[in-house]
Amino acid sequence: MAEARADSLAVNDWGGGVHPYRVGHRKLGMWLFIMSDTLTFAALLVAYSYARAASVNWPKPFPFSPSIVFSTTMTLVLLSSSLTMVFAVAASKRGKRGTARKWIFATMALGLTFIVLHLMEWNHLIGEGLRPFELPPEWLEPNAWPGASPLFGSTFFGITGLHMFHVLTGVIYLGVVATRIKKLNDDVEVVGLYWHFVDLVWMFVFPLIYLLSVDYNGVIKP
Amino acid sequence: MVESKTREIKALNLVLLALAGLSLAVAVWDVASDTFRAGTDDVFLVLVCLMLALLFAIPPLMWAHSNGMLKNPFADEAVDEGGAAMELEAAHEAHGGSNRENVIVWGGLLGLTAIEVFLAYIQIPTTLMLIILMGASIVKAALIVAYFMHLKFERLSLILTIVPTIVVLLCLFAVLFPDSFRLHNLRPAEPVQQVEHE
Repeated sequence: MAEARADSLAVNDWGGGVHPYRVGHRKLGMWLFIMSDTLTFAALLVAYSYARAASVNWPKPFPFSPSIVFSTTMTLVLLSSSLTMVFAVAASKRGKRGTARKWIFATMALGLTFIVLHLMEWNHLIGEGLRPFELPPEWLEPNAWPGASPLFGSTFFGITGLHMFHVLTGVIYLGVVATRIKKLNDDVEVVGLYWHFVDLVWMFVFPLIYLLSVDYNGVIKP
Repeated sequence: MVESKTREIKALNLVLLALAGLSLAVAVWDVASDTFRAGTDDVFLVLVCLMLALLFAIPPLMWAHSNGMLKNPFADEAVDEGGAAMELEAAHEAHGGSNRENVIVWGGLLGLTAIEVFLAYIQIPTTLMLIILMGASIVKAALIVAYFMHLKFERLSLILTIVPTIVVLLCLFAVLFPDSFRLHNLRPAEPVQQVEHE
């Protein structure tokens, strides 16, 4: 009914009326949140790029095998979770709540897999001696990256940590929507927006942090 | 529409167009002036002016488009605005990006990722790598936003509220980079010997 009213009032795209965007308040709110979160991540990635471009030397500690292969797997998992989320939204739009719930659980499983893989990656780097404000001493030797900035650690843990926190929040959010899907059926699309956004951020984190820091010289022994 | 209102809209659009032209002129003036050094100040001024020009130009261009003065060169076929909007709406209700379409988009995203990883494997110059990676990432982001996040099937007013704002704000971050390069050039050519930790 409200839709019909908006139709008659909205003359053209700038006409406005009572529903200028013709989306619900939850969806609009999520879009506004995504816009602000985009700027949060952009600020972090720009800070990382700034520090890297201003440095004489920057560590490139990811050998193609295993580190890049590992992070590519993580990317694959996250991209696939976006696809299962799309299926969940499609099912809930067709009114099939049970199917939607199954797809949401699949999305959560893939999200958790991503977190576990990422924590393994973190564990590996921490084991090598990387800290938020300190590089492993071997990384500073003449055959590695002498004079490299310890900002590598802070940007790496800061950016991937915030992203991982977003994935974790998304898994919890998905869980709430899935268990209360009868009441929150419309929210499947809204949580979908959030989930795709988290995937989108990774599409920038993965190339900037990992693919531009491949260790071709074999400094890091696998 | 009432005659006076039409004239009012026309006048407002002309004012906006003039402001767009003015912003563009300031940007051109800055680039052409002798003091142009492509530092943070210049990049900031030029970017802000170009973006203001873009934002000021959107309403008049849309108005001209809806009045038939301007044809969309990318339009598939000549349909009048109302009809096109209705068709889009109908398409949205009918499928709004079918599952098959979404699987194809997912395949495209995987393909782009595979190309990126392959480039990392064969090792190409860092600057070229950065440009290719950012280009591919922007394409991937656009695919995700348009299809997975459904923005392609939303009203034009929502798209125009979200996308230009984000693009403008993200571009403004670029003003920091001249300072970053300046810092890099300030450093000694030889890396300083690392002092032993006590």
